[in-house]
Amino acid sequence: MILLEERNRILEETFRERFNRTDEPEKLFLTIHDFDGVSYSVETKDSKSVLFFSMSMKCYPELRAYGADHVLYREYGSLFQQTPEPGFEVTLRIDETQLGGVDKEALIKKLALLKRNALAAPFEAAFQAQSEGQQTNIMTVNYREREAIYIMGFPDRVTVIFSTQFKEETDQIFGKVFLQEFVDARRQPAIQNAPQVLYSPREPPLELRGLRLSDAENVGYVTFVLFPRHFTPGPIREETISRIQLFRDYLHYHIKASKAYMHSRMRARVESFLKVLNRAKPEKPDDQKEKKTFG
Amino acid sequence: MSNTLRPYLTAVRATLTAAMCLENFSSQVVERHNKPEIEAQTTKESLLTPVVISRNENEKVLIEPSINSLRISIKIKQADDLERVLAHMFTRFLMMRAENFVILRRKAIQGYDISFLITNFHTEAMFKHKLVDFIIQFMEEVDKEISEMKLSINARARIVAESYLSQFS
Amino acid sequence: MADFDDDYEDFVDTSIPARSEYELNAGIQDRSNQVRGFVSSGRFAEAVAKALEDPPAGRDAQGAKDKNLQVVMEALAAPRGTDIPVIVKQLAPYQLDTLMKFVYRGMAYPEAFNPSVLLTWHEKVTEVTGLGSIVRVLTDRQTV
Repeated sequence: MILLEERNRILEETFRERFNRTDEPEKLFLTIHDFDGVSYSVETKDSKSVLFFSMSMKCYPELRAYGADHVLYREYGSLFQQTPEPGFEVTLRIDETQLGGVDKEALIKKLALLKRNALAAPFEAAFQAQSEGQQTNIMTVNYREREAIYIMGFPDRVTVIFSTQFKEETDQIFGKVFLQEFVDARRQPAIQNAPQVLYSPREPPLELRGLRLSDAENVGYVTFVLFPRHFTPGPIREETISRIQLFRDYLHYHIKASKAYMHSRMRARVESFLKVLNRAKPEKPDDQKEKKTFG
Repeated sequence: MSNTLRPYLTAVRATLTAAMCLENFSSQVVERHNKPEIEAQTTKESLLTPVVISRNENEKVLIEPSINSLRISIKIKQADDLERVLAHMFTRFLMMRAENFVILRRKAIQGYDISFLITNFHTEAMFKHKLVDFIIQFMEEVDKEISEMKLSINARARIVAESYLSQFS
Repeated sequence: MADFDDDYEDFVDTSIPARSEYELNAGIQDRSNQVRGFVSSGRFAEAVAKALEDPPAGRDAQGAKDKNLQVVMEALAAPRGTDIPVIVKQLAPYQLDTLMKFVYRGMAYPEAFNPSVLLTWHEKVTEVTGLGSIVRVLTDRQTV
């Protein structure tokens, strides 16, 4: 699997199973985790047919400031609760008795996109500003500890900057190789239309100068420059939002995968070295072939 | 392959063969002990002159012989950061499995990436020429392995970047 | 437990008269000029033989040894690769042993001396002497 899915597969399967049951609904209490420290809880309370689907997301207060409540209300309508469950930032209430006549499959898919939709708010705001020819402030989403997404709308473009942290030196150097390829890939004629990618190790890019971020050895900044053709309203815009959000996870996922591959390679190589070394051991006389005797 | 590799490996092979003349030798310091003198470094008369064989600044071999043991340390070629990290990963991986390798030292001598310790007990239990073969083959393959690992990372990075970005067009 | 440094002295050949740093340096300077003379007139075999003469010995002569190494490396770097086997054939076994010591000494400093030239010398000397010269480098306490 090269690309990551924007939907949370466990959520999707949980809801699909739940909504397609024919027997009486049962009690349910599930905790599910997603990328970037997001976790979900799906549970029934007094009534077994009413699901409370909540999401805990540290950066949600920031997202709310960029209009996330509005986006979620638009997507989930009356399911969206004004006051979330304690300990969570977002809660959707799904009454299973009211699902008759609803396209269940569409709802399932939509529910599995909860995190994506919450994170979409600043992107939508920036795209909106661009289409109105306005410039936005830097919208900061601290989606992980010490890692953030910065989104800025300009009259001619939208810039998305990821700051990402490499916990160990190996990751940092692997990351550099990967990011260099992102920068170089656009030379290929087939992907010339992709957004421009810039990579700056250590030093924050010019756009973020106002934030007074300090340089750090193990931090890298990746800038995506999106032009209106990348966020034409409709499916293109939705796709772009989904893709961009997953960039950091995609990058780190492949760094980890490379390391795992290196590990399996080294294991194989060690085997072959051991074989060579064992050739140096003379066979024991006992192990020699049995002498043939006649008679 | 560069044309200095062959004479380099030839010189290492000759020196190792010459140095691997080990005999049983009891410690002169602690009674009833038998230690690899090159590690103990307690009696200078049991140590021989250490020599370095180098191919260039970044690739060299240190051979430290003594009466009953011999230490060989290898500095692996590291042209850039990625090769440095890969060499480090690989040697660490090997050294963690030192007990299987018998002659591998758990820690490299300072300034080198990986060290082997060969004692008279090893040369008694194993063929000397095959031990030399092993070291030489190790040196050849480590370089090859690291450059292959590097290529595979680069290839993966390219595919990853292209498949991500091609979603936008 | 005996003091090993005292014992160690016994391994150093005391038959060589101790010379002062000044005497050693004068000898090296003299040799250096002669070696340069041979190299510039293309007499590489003589340059190498001259450079190998009278290597400074002893633990106290480190400064002289370093200077002397420069002279020897100059002589070894001068001939073309194809001339090396010819020169090696002209040298006596004791000279080859000394040469081998210098080859190893030079290889310890890959940043200062070109290791690929030294590797060629190593190979050609080994072809003539077998492993003997290497064993003598490892065992001889009289380092260069």
